[in-house]
Amino acid sequence: MTELNQIDLRALSVGNKRTWDAFVAAAAPLINAVVRRALASYRLNEEDVMDAAQDVFVRLCANDFRLLKTYDPARAGLSTWLAVVARSAAIDHARRRRQATQPIDEVPEALLGVEDRHVEKLKIPQGLLTERQILILKCLYDEERDVAEVAQLLKIDAQTVRSTHHKALLRLRAHFGEETP
Amino acid sequence: MSTERTNPSDKELWRSLAVGRDVAPAPLSDLDFAAWLEGRLTETAAARIEAAVAGDPEMRRAALELADILGKPLPAAPARLEVRARALVGFEAERKVERTAGRASLFDWLFAKDRRFGMQRVVALTAAVVIAVSGFMLGGGLGETVAQERYAANWPRTTDTNSNELTEFLVSDSL
Repeated sequence: MTELNQIDLRALSVGNKRTWDAFVAAAAPLINAVVRRALASYRLNEEDVMDAAQDVFVRLCANDFRLLKTYDPARAGLSTWLAVVARSAAIDHARRRRQATQPIDEVPEALLGVEDRHVEKLKIPQGLLTERQILILKCLYDEERDVAEVAQLLKIDAQTVRSTHHKALLRLRAHFGEETP
Repeated sequence: MSTERTNPSDKELWRSLAVGRDVAPAPLSDLDFAAWLEGRLTETAAARIEAAVAGDPEMRRAALELADILGKPLPAAPARLEVRARALVGFEAERKVERTAGRASLFDWLFAKDRRFGMQRVVALTAAVVIAVSGFMLGGGLGETVAQERYAANWPRTTDTNSNELTEFLVSDSL
């Protein structure tokens, strides 16, 4: 079977039937996996999931392959770009179909907590933490992901995530006058 | 996958704070987001994306989900998904696109704004004009035909008269 990175993009964008068929065969497992994961919390039936996956292919070839023509191989790999497009299309599809519902067990604790409206959070001044430090703290605490998942996302090793996290907390404690552990 | 979790007191500290942003991050293109997921961006470009991802819970979930999926072997897709997707593009569409592309390229070449092949384009356009004018001049036959059609209405209807006489003859003989 042809791999995604072997697809002739020029032939694909002019509607070559054989290239399109090869593209579908190579892209279907990825699009299927991304759409299923994105729609897991929407509790859609199998037909709706299939329609959402089909909708991704429709978007790619609609208006004389306009979306596909926006892809630039110099900037990102085809599979990664396709995964981004597929997820975005799946979420749009689900929102059109129905209101999202999510099992309470899958909702991060942070989103379920009811905040006391009178408690005003201290604002972290801009520049105190780097964007990467903020992202790591948000993934660890707000999304409740583990270090390995964050390392996989940022393409760095787990030890770098730990040390970035540690440095960020040291800065926060130093700035807000708390004792470091 | 590691099950390592973070210290609760660190979490409490973080939850008591809010990230201060004066300006909302600019929207991201799919290509920028994909390039960031692959770790292809420079530190400055990556920081811009990381600010946007940190500031938007939906983008954070998208990034974590996609990073996980892209790092794993994928199961095969249902056969009917492939069948339906293949049917979206047919051979007819391909032929139509090729014909359209052929016409567009000749037209684009003749009237292109760049200066390459300027002389050849001028010669081709001049030849086209000469052929069109010659054809028009030689089309005197067309003028004659039009004149005949215009005056035909005023000519005597001898054919019609003969035809009527023949009809009357056949009717009288009960044919």
